[in-house]
Amino acid sequence: MSIVPDADIIIVGAGPAGMACAIDLAAAGCRVIVLDMQPSPGGQIFRALEANMQARPGTDELLSALGPSYKAGLALLTRFRATPGIDYRPGTTVWDLRADGTVGWLKGDAAGYLRATHVVLANGAMERPAPFPGWTLPGVMTAGAVQTLLKAGRLKPKGRIVLAGTGPLIFLLADQLRRLGVRPALIARTDRARDKVAALRRLRPAGLPALLKGLGWLLRLRLAGVAMRTGISGLEAHGRSHIESARLTVAGKRIELPCDLLVVHDGIVPSTDLAHAAGLALAWRDDDASWQPVTTRDGQAEMAPGPALTAGPCRIRITGDARRIGGADAAIAHGRHAAGAILAELSRPAATPGAADRTGVDVERSLAARPFLDAAFPPGLAANLPDDATIVCRCEEITAGALRAAIRDGAREMNLVRGLLRCGMGACQGRSCAATLARLLAEANPDRPVSPAPFRARPPLRPLPLGALAGMIGLDPDLAQVESLDDKPEASAGDDAHV
Amino acid sequence: MSNDALIVGGGLQGCAIALFLARAGWRVTVVEKNLAGRHASGVNAGGLRSLMRDVREYPLSLRAMDMWANLADVVGAAAAESCEVRLGTAQIALAMDAAELQWCEARSRSMCRRDIHSEKLIAPDALHRLLPGLSGAALGGLISRRDGHANPANAARAFRKAAEATGVRILEQCKVHDLAPKPSGGWRAETDAGAIEAEWVLNCAGAWGSALAARLGETLPIKVTALSMMVTARVQPFITPVVIGIDQPLSFKQSAVGSLVIGGGILGKPCLEGDTSFTVMDRMASSAAATVAAFPVLAGVPVVRTWTGLEGATPDGIPFIGPSLSHPGLWHVFGFCGHGFQLAPAVGEAVARSLVSGTLDPRLTPFAVDRLQPQTPRKEEALP
Repeated sequence: MSIVPDADIIIVGAGPAGMACAIDLAAAGCRVIVLDMQPSPGGQIFRALEANMQARPGTDELLSALGPSYKAGLALLTRFRATPGIDYRPGTTVWDLRADGTVGWLKGDAAGYLRATHVVLANGAMERPAPFPGWTLPGVMTAGAVQTLLKAGRLKPKGRIVLAGTGPLIFLLADQLRRLGVRPALIARTDRARDKVAALRRLRPAGLPALLKGLGWLLRLRLAGVAMRTGISGLEAHGRSHIESARLTVAGKRIELPCDLLVVHDGIVPSTDLAHAAGLALAWRDDDASWQPVTTRDGQAEMAPGPALTAGPCRIRITGDARRIGGADAAIAHGRHAAGAILAELSRPAATPGAADRTGVDVERSLAARPFLDAAFPPGLAANLPDDATIVCRCEEITAGALRAAIRDGAREMNLVRGLLRCGMGACQGRSCAATLARLLAEANPDRPVSPAPFRARPPLRPLPLGALAGMIGLDPDLAQVESLDDKPEASAGDDAHV
Repeated sequence: MSNDALIVGGGLQGCAIALFLARAGWRVTVVEKNLAGRHASGVNAGGLRSLMRDVREYPLSLRAMDMWANLADVVGAAAAESCEVRLGTAQIALAMDAAELQWCEARSRSMCRRDIHSEKLIAPDALHRLLPGLSGAALGGLISRRDGHANPANAARAFRKAAEATGVRILEQCKVHDLAPKPSGGWRAETDAGAIEAEWVLNCAGAWGSALAARLGETLPIKVTALSMMVTARVQPFITPVVIGIDQPLSFKQSAVGSLVIGGGILGKPCLEGDTSFTVMDRMASSAAATVAAFPVLAGVPVVRTWTGLEGATPDGIPFIGPSLSHPGLWHVFGFCGHGFQLAPAVGEAVARSLVSGTLDPRLTPFAVDRLQPQTPRKEEALP
C-alpha cells in the first residue's frame, strides 16, 4: 500500500461487534471509519432500534413484543453515537476488500477505495440457505426476513402461519409474534428431543442462562397453546403462484397444512463473502455444513494458500458472528477483544488498562453455550441434500438435478459447474447456493474433501453502478495505471509497400 | 500409441487445429495443464470482428467469418447452436473526437485502396439511429456490418467436443514436464499422463507459449496479460451492434438476456505461475468512464460481475503462427493479443492444411515466428 491511509482502522458493519470494536478503538484515540450497509447502526439484532425508540408511544407494543434483548442494544448504540473519533458512514456497501487493508465502498452513486492499517470485518451472519421443494415460492420467508419486516417495517405477518426449521431464532420469533397476538398454526421443528439429551453433555455452567432463556420461550409458547412438533422432516411448500400449503412428515405421518406464510429458519452461519474475496483462508465445517474464516482467537485472519492480488501482511481481523456464531453478547465481547489486540499491535494503551485479559475471558464466557446450542439444534432443513427437482441457485433457477448431471458429466469443481450452468452467477453472487453445490460435489466424490472455498470471488461483490465506478475516488495510483492491449492498427500501415 | 501430432494447450486454437488435423486422418493428442478453454479462450468478449483488424490478419479473418457463418459444418449442428453465433449485428468503432474521426477517415481510405470493403465510415445520423442513447458528442465512426459475436465459453467447449468426436484425445490437468526431439526424428514428451510421442508438436500454449518456446531454446517474446471483462445487470434490450473504442478503452455489447458485457482491453493483474489472474477495479474505472461517456444513460446500470483470463500479446500485435526455425517438427501458434477468438476456425484450418500438405498456407506468412528477429539474410537470398 503506497498511499496515505484514510484511517487507522476501517470497520465493516455496525452491528454489536462493529460498534463495540469501534468504541474501544476510538476511545483509545484511533481514527476509525465504520462502513455500514444499513441506514442506522444496530446490525440485524438491533435493527431500527433508534427509530423505534423515537417513534414511541406508537411503537410501544412492538418494542414490548421484541423484548428486553432488543432494547438492551440502546446503551451500546448511545455510546457508539457519542464516542468522538468514529466516522460512521451508514448506507455504505462494501463491494471489494483486499488483504492489504483496501476497502471498496459504494454510497448512493459515489464509490471509491479507502485504506487503513487495520480492517475489521464485522459483517455478521446470514441464515443458512436450505433449499427444499417450493422454497422459492412467494409466501415462503426466512425468520430473519420476518424480523426485518417487524423491526424496520413495523409489519406484522397475517394469515395462516407455519414456522419450520430449527434454532433459537425460531423460538424467539414465535415468542415475539405471540406477544403481537399472532399465533402460528404450527411450529415444526427439525431438531429432536434426543438432540437435547446429547447436547446436555456439552452444557457448561456459563451456558445456563442461554438454556433458561430458551426454556422460558418454550414455556410461554406452550402456555399460549401454540402447537409445536419436533423431529419433522420432508418439508415442502406447495402452491401455484403463492404458497397454499405446507407438507411435512411428523412422527412418520405425512401431513398437509393450509398456509399463507411459511417461515423457515435453519440456524445462522458466518457471512464469509468479504473474507473470501480478500483471499482469506476459510475452513469447511462438516457438522455445520458451512465455511467459516480461519482466524486466531483475537480475530486475526490468514491468507488462503495460492497467489494473491496484494503483497505484504494480512491486515484483516474478523469479529462477531462473521467469525463465530455466538449472538449479540458474544459479538460485543469479541469486538472489544479484537479492538484490544489492534491497540496492542499499534502500541497504544487501551482506555481501560488490563482490558485485553478481561475481554478474552468475556469472549470465552459468551461463547460457553455454543457447543450445547450447536448440538441441540443441528442443521435440519439443510441436513439432507435437496432432491433433483428442487432449485438450488434461485438467481439462475438451477435445480439440484441439473447440478448433479453436470457433476456426473465430469464437472468436479465449483467454478467449472458455475461456468457450465451459471449457478452462482446471479445477483447474490453465489452466497446462497455455494454451500449446497459444495455438498453436491462431495456427495458425488465422497473420497475428495469438500471444497475449501466457495466460488472464485471477484469484485464487485455487490452491484456497482457504472457511473459510480466511472467516477471512483481513492484509486491506487500504481494499480490504476491503465494497462490496455495496444492493438489499434495504424490507419494506413504499410500502404506504400503493398499497393 | 504414437501420434502424428501433440498439441500443447487445449484452448480454442489448439482444439481447432486438432479438429482439422483429425479430420485429415491424423492421430492427435491435446495436453492441457488446466481445463480446456479455461483461460483466454473461454473468457474473452466473444467478438466476431473484422473491424479494425490488422490488415495482415484480414485474409484469415474473412475466411473465419465464413466458417462462423456455417459453424454447423465445422463443429456439428447442436454444438454450433450452443455457440450463439450472431453475425450481421455489426460492430461499430466510435469516433468521440476529431482525432479519432480523422483516424477513421484515414483507415477507410487505406482499406479502400486495399480493396477491403467490409468496414465503412458511418455518418452521425446513421450512427445515432443504430445506437440509441449514444452521447451527442459522438462524431461518427467505422462500421463493419457483417461482424457480430458469439459465446466464447460455449465455443471453446464446442471445438473441444468436436475434436474429441473426430478422434482427438484430450488430456486435461496434464502438464508437460519435459519435451525433446527424438534422435530418430519426432518428439517425446514426459507428461502427467506418462510419455507421449508424436511426429509433430504444436505449441498452442497461449499465455504460456513463450515459456514453452524458451524451454526449447527459442525466443518468442510475449507480454502476459489478464484480459478483463465486466457484466452488468440485465436491462431492456436497446442496442444490437457491438461498440468499440478507437483510443478509448471502450468495448461493449448487449447479450441476448439484456446484460451488457463490457471489455475495452483493460487488463487485470496476471499471475502466470499460479495459472490465474486478478481483476483490478482501479483500472476498470476507466472502462466504465468510457462507457458512460459514450452512453450517459447507462450510468445507473450496475456492474454485477467481472472476470479475467490470461492471454499473451506479441510486440507487433499479431500472433506467432508458423514452423519453428530451430526445430524440425515444431510449430508455434500463440500470442493472439486478445483478438484470436474470431480467427480460430481459420487458423485451425490453415495450420492443419499446411501440416498435412507440407506447404505453408500463404495466409499464414505474415505470422512467421522469426519476423521480429533482426533480419539476417537467408541463404538463398544471400546468393548474388
